[in-house]
Amino acid sequence: MTKRQTRAFFLGSTGVFSLIFLALTIDSHRQFPALTHADQITPDVIAGKHVWHRKNCVNCHTLLGEGAYYAPDLTKIAAQRGAPYLRSFLADPAKFYNEERDRRLMPNLKLTAQEIDEVIAFLTWVGKIDNHGWPPRPILVSGAAIPGTNVGGPVPQPASNDPVAVGQALFGQSPPACFACHSTAPGVNLVGPSLAGIGATAEARVKAADYHGKATDAVGYIRESILDPSVDLVAGPTYSSNGQSMMPPGFGQSLEPAQVDALVAYLMTLK
Amino acid sequence: MRYRTQAVAYPYFVVALLLYGLQMVFGILSITKYLGPDPIKAFLPFDVSKEIHTNLLLVWVLTGFMGATYWLVPEESRTELHSPRLAYWQLGLWTLAGVTAVVGYLFGWTEGNKLLEQPMPVKLAIVVVMLMFLYNIGMTIWKVRRLTTTEGVLVAGLALTAILYLPALVTFDNYTVSIYYRWWTVHLWVEGVWEMVQGGLLAYLLIRLSGADREVMEKWLYVIVGLTFIAGILGTAHHYFWIGVPGYWLPLGGFFSALEPLAFLGMAVYAYMAMRRSGLAHPNSLALHWTMGSAIFSALGAGVLGLAHTWPSVNRWTHGTMITAMHAHMAFFGAYVMIVLAMITYASPGLFGHDQEAGESPTGLWAFWLQMAGMFGMTMAFAAAGISQTYLERILGLGYLETQHKIQVHFLMVLATGLLFVLGVGLYLYDFFFLAPRRRTASAAWPAAAAEPED
Repeated sequence: MTKRQTRAFFLGSTGVFSLIFLALTIDSHRQFPALTHADQITPDVIAGKHVWHRKNCVNCHTLLGEGAYYAPDLTKIAAQRGAPYLRSFLADPAKFYNEERDRRLMPNLKLTAQEIDEVIAFLTWVGKIDNHGWPPRPILVSGAAIPGTNVGGPVPQPASNDPVAVGQALFGQSPPACFACHSTAPGVNLVGPSLAGIGATAEARVKAADYHGKATDAVGYIRESILDPSVDLVAGPTYSSNGQSMMPPGFGQSLEPAQVDALVAYLMTLK
Repeated sequence: MRYRTQAVAYPYFVVALLLYGLQMVFGILSITKYLGPDPIKAFLPFDVSKEIHTNLLLVWVLTGFMGATYWLVPEESRTELHSPRLAYWQLGLWTLAGVTAVVGYLFGWTEGNKLLEQPMPVKLAIVVVMLMFLYNIGMTIWKVRRLTTTEGVLVAGLALTAILYLPALVTFDNYTVSIYYRWWTVHLWVEGVWEMVQGGLLAYLLIRLSGADREVMEKWLYVIVGLTFIAGILGTAHHYFWIGVPGYWLPLGGFFSALEPLAFLGMAVYAYMAMRRSGLAHPNSLALHWTMGSAIFSALGAGVLGLAHTWPSVNRWTHGTMITAMHAHMAFFGAYVMIVLAMITYASPGLFGHDQEAGESPTGLWAFWLQMAGMFGMTMAFAAAGISQTYLERILGLGYLETQHKIQVHFLMVLATGLLFVLGVGLYLYDFFFLAPRRRTASAAWPAAAAEPED
């Protein structure tokens, strides 16, 4: 090979592959609107994206797996946690996590209520992007999709008196060991059904025609399901049989009323 | 030093090395925060320390590239630099922009776009600097109409670096589209045009250090940069897998990323063969260490470790974990840090007025081996952290926080080996700033000081 030939190889191959790359870029642009649901990019979503950038979120978190690895991935956070939880979390993260225990804590970004709503709108939109099903399993902020995996880990303690924080910690403690049968990750059904989205499910159940319990709203429904699990049954071989729920009865005796309230408050944020 | 104006490289190297030292401070701070709790998070949270760590890297490596180019172009084109004064002004503006950005980050002035956080005024200043630089280099070459392949590849790489920065000036409402173009700058820099820069500098160093035949070296240089672009351009797709792009990017990204190690392997073989054929007789054996080191470490870090997680079915699980940090640290160090240090080490005797026969300094060798050992250790520690994280968090479904708690020991290892690395950097700076100026032969004036602006 002469130098002239190798130069031709360099220029030719670079030219060809640049052209292919540009052609695919044009085609990708053709498909972006559908893949990203571009019609749902509202002014709130755009404003939320600005908040995301202005507050430098990407240098701790990842979004779509891109960013820094100091804090959890947020691609599906809006669906996992729901807006009510995120609203109160973003207002003061220290209410939910404890730096001594978790080794790190998100600083309070002092966002206005409007900024919080905008960034939630942005994260909600991101969560719906058609990205070939990534992540393949839900990435949890804390807890475990499968009970027992956190062997030797610290027992969750509430970081504040906020009922949601207390309920979240209680959920992971034993007793009552809710986590042993229920995951909060979508689609991860253990011995008991996943509680992802339970807030929304409860709302739908109280209004359903085949519901025969006493609850009139979602809060009441969740409370009833904890205290008297057999009133409204979820079908499933390990969930119930012969009209009886397999969830142990008696949480009404073993838990303080305030503890039940806290659990309900936490579960209501899962929408 | 054959041309007086090559001495403008000296202040560039000074700035580059000072920023390298500063980068270490923010690196150590960042890994300490992983161990937590963080007593200083109120005024220096992780996002800021990490942002400064990566931005300083980009700034100082580019400063090194520019200094190295100012050193190399007069020699290759056999003429004095077009305007040393312009080169000094350029360095002044560049340093001002860099320092402004870093100080701004401390106060939350950021665009919050990973690696391209520079606020718009800083971005514009960077564009102006690039234009000043390319003008100065272009005029130097144009005046004598002499352009070697080595410097042609180098300067083309830098010109393309400037062009590929332009997408960073545009903002998009659609986050997916904005990520898509962010990689045009970041990926096509580090796995594309910067490899032209590395290749050009490597060819220059190999020709000078081993006395290898220029015709042969330049012929193969084309092959290497050709391979780089065949793999690297469509290899961009490995950043696109999960951001919301059409499905064809997955197999494309997997296939072309798998070719990327070939280009790096080619570079390592290229350096090895040059040494085999022409010997290792050059007295500046320290520069030889850094040159060979760069060729080998980039093949490992950028080539092999990159391939470790660019296949889509693997990346599906490792995307966004410490595995990326493993690959990124060794790749950047091997490909770009080491080649800049190789150029500085090679140019130092000329810049300081040393006798070329003076040989290597023990401090310089310690600096080299400590950085090698430290970076190797950090890479292994990041790998252990990343593999554990992938299994615990992604496959087993353990929460992020619980997982981070369980892999603390690996962060401790990153810190320990990181300190080893920083010690090596410290010795390099000590050698450059304190020992090297004293080593100059008594009779020689300090040529770097003689390069006053003349026009």
